[in-house]
Formats: sequence, structure tokens, C-alpha cells
Amino acid sequence: MISDGAISTKKDLSERALGTLLLAPAALLLLVIVVYPIATLFWNSLHGVDNANPAAGEQFVGLKNYFTAFEDDRFWASTWHTILYIVATVPGALVVGLGLALLANMPFKVKWPVRLGLLLPWALPLVFAGLIFRWFFEYRTGVVNDTLMRLGFEPLSWLSDPNLAFAAISVAIVWKSSSFMALMLLAGLQTIPKSLYEAAEVDGASKWQQFVEITLPMLRPAIAVALIFRTITAIQTFDIPYAMTGGGPGDSTETLAMYIHKTTLDFLDFGYGSALAALMFVLSMVATSGYLKYTRRSSGRSGD
Amino acid sequence: MPFGISRRATVWLAGLIVAANGFFPAVWILLTSLKTETELIRSPITYLPEAATLDNYATAFTAQPILRFMWNSFVVATLSTLLCVLVSALAAYALTRLRIPRRNLIMSVLLAVAMFPLISLMVPLFKVMRELGLLNTYLALILPYAVLSMPVCTLVMASFFQDIPPDLEAAAMVDGCSRVGALFRVIIPLSAPGVFTAAILAFVNAWDEFLLALTMMNRVNMRTLSVGITLYQGEFAFPWPLISAALIIAIVPICIIIAVFQERVVGGLTSGGVKG
Repeated sequence: MISDGAISTKKDLSERALGTLLLAPAALLLLVIVVYPIATLFWNSLHGVDNANPAAGEQFVGLKNYFTAFEDDRFWASTWHTILYIVATVPGALVVGLGLALLANMPFKVKWPVRLGLLLPWALPLVFAGLIFRWFFEYRTGVVNDTLMRLGFEPLSWLSDPNLAFAAISVAIVWKSSSFMALMLLAGLQTIPKSLYEAAEVDGASKWQQFVEITLPMLRPAIAVALIFRTITAIQTFDIPYAMTGGGPGDSTETLAMYIHKTTLDFLDFGYGSALAALMFVLSMVATSGYLKYTRRSSGRSGD
Repeated sequence: MPFGISRRATVWLAGLIVAANGFFPAVWILLTSLKTETELIRSPITYLPEAATLDNYATAFTAQPILRFMWNSFVVATLSTLLCVLVSALAAYALTRLRIPRRNLIMSVLLAVAMFPLISLMVPLFKVMRELGLLNTYLALILPYAVLSMPVCTLVMASFFQDIPPDLEAAAMVDGCSRVGALFRVIIPLSAPGVFTAAILAFVNAWDEFLLALTMMNRVNMRTLSVGITLYQGEFAFPWPLISAALIIAIVPICIIIAVFQERVVGGLTSGGVKG
């Protein structure tokens, strides 16, 4: 922002007043839809129904819900599943996304099929992707088992075996999230000056050397942002397992978000559901603050 | 020149892989939607439908009120987009064009909201909406959707507003426009592509959302498309040709949007993310 040095205090003040006025609608919406609900989330998490006296309704129970959570096997199991999804799908989406970005960065004469190929998975609702992949992994009529059988393998019961269901869900998540990652990485690729590659070519560097010595280092900021971004969304994994297995078989593919949803809306245990949601909130905010710290540092470095 | 040919073949192959990766699920459900239930359960499965039929599409319209779902999605997505773009445009203007204190803090808060775990919000928001009597009303989704897309819309529009020379705005104000008048008469028209991009992103976000839609609307008539599609599954059986037909109907609007506005969408998505 350029200051001409002659701005009077009066103009400053009116600018500040106008700024406040213009930001007010956004602030008001944030207050009603985010700040107030989150405040009540923490307050609700301190309440619960006493099983000995259910007629009294929700009562203040202090930190009891949090202690319950720490002793709740299903809470730990669903958290563990969420972590496994993060570990499996974030690097998976990065590798697939980077591959797609490198392919999409070639000099195409007709650009729209490639662009749409990257956009369609992003634009498809998560739950639709889950349904479609459920159809792929169907035991008798799914295309995956059909391919296995044509290649001479035994069909696998993808969605009724805990480990295979985890694999199938991970494949669907990687497919769905890798194209957005590819779009972000593609934007990064296009900022790398062509002259770097030309110079490397003159020096006789192979394609692989160019990739390792030029592409990867230049792409580091974009990769970091994409990874953190993807991790934060992976913490909230809900739609795809919901559509593919509903958390089953048993609770073996249930994520923390799914358990919170069930606790609140199926079991109608608001106090406990709020405590679980509060724990998830804290987890997510820790990851987000890492993201903010990184972007602020990197934007400072580029001498903005 | 053999090198030239192989180079062109590589480019072709690369394009084919990216396009095929994006399209194969949609193509597969399109093929499934044209099959009959009897053809479906045959083993080994067929790839192309033997006797293509549109019956599944007819059933899709009668088995569930899919047009009603679509209308609900349309109302919610359109109104939340309008609200979001208006509020975000004002905020983006304040953040780029005015000297306001704590600008970076406000930006950080916006980014934090963008990363918010929806499930944590869903629990208390459900309670708030229930107390306000707003469950099963459009407002219960319009307000949250507008807020959820606010960060990305503000960032996209801010990056466009920044590129407009201050002189143009100053000239408008000399001509008697107020500051806000200059925003609506100069800044917004000049950054129309940015406003448009923000609107498309907000619309697609709202159209695709599932968790809040599942929670806030439990009456069949108020279901949005993303939730409504899951209602096609039976208690025990999955009528895949029918579900596929419903899915195809449901993704047509979103396909049209991304096909028509592909460049804008790509630009918007990447400007929000990589610039950080």
C-alpha cells in the first residue's frame, strides 16, 4: 500500500470508520454462524444427561464427558482410523496429484479435455464419489473384481473385510482429492521459468536430473501448502466412508467425524457429542495454526 | 523426424491419462445407467450396455422427487452465493483499498475459518437452528454456506481488486462518486472476472455440501441433491442402474458449470490456494 505522506488524520479516521462498516456484515455472519456456535460447543460439552435422573434434562457435569472420551474405545478407534486415512491418503494424493500435474503441464494444443479431467473430480460431490467407488468395489458386479477375475485372480470382498474396506475407501479419497492437489501444483509448475530447464539442457542434465534439481525444489512451497491443506481436510473425513461402508463392517472404517455425527444425531447425546467435536476442533486448529505460520513465513520470504 | 512424432505421442498420451482419470467414473455410471437390472447381475459383467434403455431415467424421476431436490439445491446454492459474494466483496474492498488496522490478523482469521472442521460446527449449529425453529428451512443452509465460502471468495476478489489502479477510483470520486459508489461503479465492474470466479466457487461449494444438508434438513421435500441421491438406495439392495441414472441427472448441472467456466474456475482455485 502506497502512502503519499499527506493523508490527514481526519481522512484516516473516516477510512477506518468506512472499513469497519464494510467489514461489519462479514463479522456479523461469522459471529452468528461460527463464533457463537463454537462458544456453545464448549459450554455444551460440559453438560450431560444424568442416567440416574434423566427427567432433569441436561445438567452441568464439568469435564466428565472428556474423561468418558478418554476411556471410550470407540473414540480412540475412530481417531485411529482418521489418522490412518491421513497417513494413507495425504502422501497418496500428493504422489498422484504431482503425476497428474506433470502430465497436465505438457504443451497441449487442445486444453479443455485436460482441464476438465482435473476439474471433474474436484466438482463432484464427495458423497457421489463415495457412491461411485462403492459401485466399483461391489463384490459380484463391481468392475474391480471383474478385472481381477479376468486377470485370473480370486474376487475380493472389498467392502466387508475391514482391511480391504480401508484400502478401497483410501483409493476413493485419493482419486477425489488428487485432482485439486494437481491444480495447485500445476499453478506452481507454471511459475517455474523455462530458462532454468533450457540451461540444464545445455549442461546435459537428464530429464530425471531436471526434475530432482529444478522442479522439486522450485515446487516446494506449492507442495507444502497443498500438503497442509489436504491434511486439514483429511482430519474431517466423513462423506466417502459414509457413502461406501457407513463405517462398517462393524465400526472398522468409522472416522472421528462419523462417530461424532452418530453420537449427536443418532444417539442424541449432545453433551458427549459436543465434547468429541470440541476435541476435534482443537486438533484441527493445531494443524491450521501450522498452516498459517507456514504461509506467513513464506509470504514474508518472497519479499511481498 | 521420428523424435517429433514420439514427442507428440507423449503429449497425446499424457492428455489421455489425465482426461481418463477424471472421466472414467462418470463414464462408467453413464454406461451403468443405460443397462437393465438383469444385464447388471450377469457374470462376467458387460461393459457396453447390450440393449440400452432410458427406463432408469424415467424411474429416477418418479422414485424420488429428484426435481424437488434439484430445486432445493438450486435455491440454497444461488441465495448463499449472492449473500456470500456481496459480503465478501465489501470485506475484500476494505482489506485491499482502505488503510485499516490489524489487516493481517483479519486475513488470518478468515483463513482459519476456511480450515474449520465442519463437523465441530455442525453439532452446535444444529442446536442453534433447532432453537430458532429454522430446521428444514432454506435459511438453515444458506447462512452457513455463505460463511463457509466467504474466505475463498474474499481472497479471490481481493487479489482482483488489488490490480485496479487507484487512479481510476480517485477519478470516480473526483467526479462526485462516494467511496462506496466507486466500489459498485468502478471496482466491481472492472473486476467482474474475479467476482464471477468467486461466485462460481461459492456455488459449487454449496451445491456439493453434504454433512450440513444431511443434518439440517430431515424432511424429504427439503433434502438437497447431494443427500437426496443417497435416498435411492433400498434397505438391503443397491439398484445401481437407477442410482447411476440419478447420479447422472444430478451431475449434469455441475458439469455444465465447470465446462463453461473452466478457465475461471482453475484460476480461482489456484489463486486462493497457492498465494496463501
